[in-house]
Amino acid sequence: MANLKTGGQTNRKKVQVSMVICEAEEKKHRSGINALQFDASLSRLFSAGRDSIIRVYEHERYLQSMEHHTDWVNDIVLCCNGRNLISASSDTTVKVWNAHKGFCMSTLRTHKDYVKALAYAKDREQVASAGLDKSIYLWDVTTLTALTASNNTVTTSSLVGNKESIYSLAMNPPGSVIVSGSTEKALRFWDPRTCAKLFKLKGHADNVKALVVSRDGTHCISGSSDGSIRVWSLGGQRCIQTIRVHSGSVWALLATDNFQYVISGGRDKKVIMTELKNPQNSIVVCVEEAPVLRMCFTADHQAIWVSTSDSNIRCWKLPTEKHMKDETKLQTNPIALIPGGAAIRQAVVLNDKRHIITKDTDNNVAVYDVLKAQKVEDLGQVDFQQEIKNRFKVVYVPNWFNVDLKTGMLTIHLGQDEVDCFSAWVSARDAGIKDAPEPEQKVNYGKLLLQALLEHWRGVDTDPENKLYFSVPPHTPLIFSEVGGRTLYRVVVGDAAGDTETSLLNETVPSWVTSNLEENCTGKFIKIQFYLQPHSSVPSHLLKQDRLKKPDRLVANDFIQCRKVAEHILDKLLGEGNAGSPGAAGDADSTTPANGMTADQIELMCNDQVLDPSMDLRTVKYFIWKMSSDLTLYYKLNNVK
Amino acid sequence: MGANISQLERDIGSEQFPSNEHYFGLVNFGNTCYSNSVLQALYFCKPFRDKVLEYKAKNKRTKETLLTCLADLFYSIATQKKKVGSIAPKKFIARLRKEKEEFDNYMQQDAHEFLNFLINHISEIILAERQQNSSTNNIKSKNPGENGTIHVPSEPTWVHEIFQGILTSETRCLNCETISSKDEDFFDLQVDIEQNTSITHCLRCFSNTETLCSDNKFKCDNCSSYQEAQKRMRVKKLPMILALHLKRFKYMEQYNRHIKVSHRVVFPLELRLFNTSDDAVNPDRLYDLVAVVIHCGSGPNRGHYISIVKSHGFWLLFDDDQVDKIDASTIEDFYGLTSDTQKSSETGYILFYQSRESL
Repeated sequence: MANLKTGGQTNRKKVQVSMVICEAEEKKHRSGINALQFDASLSRLFSAGRDSIIRVYEHERYLQSMEHHTDWVNDIVLCCNGRNLISASSDTTVKVWNAHKGFCMSTLRTHKDYVKALAYAKDREQVASAGLDKSIYLWDVTTLTALTASNNTVTTSSLVGNKESIYSLAMNPPGSVIVSGSTEKALRFWDPRTCAKLFKLKGHADNVKALVVSRDGTHCISGSSDGSIRVWSLGGQRCIQTIRVHSGSVWALLATDNFQYVISGGRDKKVIMTELKNPQNSIVVCVEEAPVLRMCFTADHQAIWVSTSDSNIRCWKLPTEKHMKDETKLQTNPIALIPGGAAIRQAVVLNDKRHIITKDTDNNVAVYDVLKAQKVEDLGQVDFQQEIKNRFKVVYVPNWFNVDLKTGMLTIHLGQDEVDCFSAWVSARDAGIKDAPEPEQKVNYGKLLLQALLEHWRGVDTDPENKLYFSVPPHTPLIFSEVGGRTLYRVVVGDAAGDTETSLLNETVPSWVTSNLEENCTGKFIKIQFYLQPHSSVPSHLLKQDRLKKPDRLVANDFIQCRKVAEHILDKLLGEGNAGSPGAAGDADSTTPANGMTADQIELMCNDQVLDPSMDLRTVKYFIWKMSSDLTLYYKLNNVK
Repeated sequence: MGANISQLERDIGSEQFPSNEHYFGLVNFGNTCYSNSVLQALYFCKPFRDKVLEYKAKNKRTKETLLTCLADLFYSIATQKKKVGSIAPKKFIARLRKEKEEFDNYMQQDAHEFLNFLINHISEIILAERQQNSSTNNIKSKNPGENGTIHVPSEPTWVHEIFQGILTSETRCLNCETISSKDEDFFDLQVDIEQNTSITHCLRCFSNTETLCSDNKFKCDNCSSYQEAQKRMRVKKLPMILALHLKRFKYMEQYNRHIKVSHRVVFPLELRLFNTSDDAVNPDRLYDLVAVVIHCGSGPNRGHYISIVKSHGFWLLFDDDQVDKIDASTIEDFYGLTSDTQKSSETGYILFYQSRESL
């Protein structure tokens, strides 16, 4: 696997570390399927998922997954007689794959925004990519497949002129004409052989989302969000036909070889076949359960595979000439089905900032453990809100990660810098580390997870003091990206020890991660400021005299428990009935208080609420004080003689 | 000037002079023309004047507020024995200076800021008084649940009934094409202006589609991801009185201050809104121009404010204590300048359109 490097590396933006919580093998699509390709010679179907995975099926049976993208795969084309596959993704990359073996050969990072569409000229082995960065790039497939890790520079020609985001692209097989559809509502044409701009055709009233060009390059069909299908004569540079058969946007198009029929799929969930010479002659091929995103022919062209924003792929028989003429009713059942899985649609991070409760498109509720990067509980179809309520705990831990559901799986983005990422300190006991030598020892969630994610890259620490408390499944994808933007590098945790992977990680892992993993970062606890005041019931003779004048302003680690604060009060604030001499405060540490009180007798209160001695200060501030201003605690004495 | 009959009365003609109407100028207390011009415009927004006078009649001597001062001022104009003259809004200005620090000086102020403050402040006073009445009349057993106080949207006040409209911002995800919309209330619309255009054009631009793209993508709930989206603002509920604020003061970085934009923007006597949403309550409302606050000069903190108002079919120009009848054709003089060379201009700044059904 080779990764292309482009010039952007020197002046790099802030780097974000993310991981995906997934199964070792994700056999089913989790979310919508944006593109399909069929390899007739091997009878294999390739599907491009919004879950970032391209899957391969042979005779409807799952064969393998092609995982390397980190965001939606928006389009795929099979080239070189099925040997290679090119994919375009919202992670802004275009990838070249060995289609037979399913591995990624190289990554093209030329686009600066989501890559939405690909076009393929079979006769010339040329591929074009386009997307939201308004650019179209032309790629020579034989050059792309020759790329290696050491020789990874590639030249490309670009087609200029687009002023808006491109959502569709098509090229005829001989590669003599290429057309793009965009939010500009116009179609723009170029000659890919010379990169010369040809013309632009107006007529649609909204975004153009699907395009087909005839083999001879004389005609073009477009499908638009304005609900219409238009047929254009390129020679006459005009629209020669407008077909309105859908009740909403047209998102997918397919033309029969001789351009006799057009098959269209829409947001209205319908697939409709229309005779181009006689558009009144149209027939509904099927009604899907979700908006139709893409279609492709089966080997014999007698049926089509249809993908939607749902995860199922169905195969539907196409009407014959006889059906078209007699308007005979078509079958209502698909002739084949590749069932998809459920996508996670809702996720709530529990207060412990470690567990996430999720609900998927099948209404199944599950609980995930971020530190272990896996699902820990399947709750089935229970009430999501109730389950969140049930698991509510009065405990506050600072945020140290964000959850992203774009792929239908949990993508965890760690805090973007050392302050955010390492904000969550908890005791080893609270973290559930049973064999911890010191249960009260503080551990940091961000650090624990990073240690686990980078375990194979750094090598396991042999120092028992610094021992790993957790590890994550080796199949867990680890992703480095520019904050809110382009992916820099993706590696599976277990592969990180490889030579190529190690050197790429050496380049990519941000320094704030490495420095914090290697050093002991105990100095970076989060502090909280608070005031201590005696409750009005505290007899003043028990207090040191100078404590009566003004409240004590203190600073402590945010995870300090109320018990500790009580001990402090006992040690420092309670006098022996007389004004302490300047030296007395220092002595108090070593001597037991003369009045014979214990910390249990001290009751802390905040906003008139008695605090549990095991509650920590940040929880008091968040759940009881509920203000951003400095916390004020009152103390009371119980059972004073 | 004649012994008892003023020039204005002569211009209007005693037969034509509307009964029960008074045209009184307002004395300037040192750069208070920003207030005078807005007060005159509001006085001639009939629904507003009627409600203020009704308030005066209903509220006998309560604690002094900006609203009681305004009510007293309107009442005093409306009950003058003479038809024309001038009056000193002394109490109102004194109260205003107490209420808001920014107005407590002798500097020129922005008339729109003043209008905005006045309308909001009055509605707050009404709401506060209403709450006071309800809490003294019937003390309900307050039971704020676990979540604390429950926010109950308050009944609209007459200020809301007159000036408040609703804007709806519609966002369409370009991937799934689902439209999500959000409503927000407004008391006036703040409109960017372009040279040699009309207010209709500027309102159309106000509702132009904006594409949320590149680093500013839209988080689509349906797609669970960031996608491009198209967003536009349209009017969902048209107010009874539509106040349009032309954004004539643009901050220029190179001068480090606001510069007046004197662009010529035609405002018609009759207006219909075209930037209404599909689910608008009353999209066909026809509006008539009833008052215009005009800025004269070259910058926000220099120059002068006057107003023109329509009353009983003819137009009057109020310049502090001066009141003149003007020809309707004179309005064209306040559209603005076609060239940008001249700095100083007399231009329409706040337009008050009243819906015909409420006239």
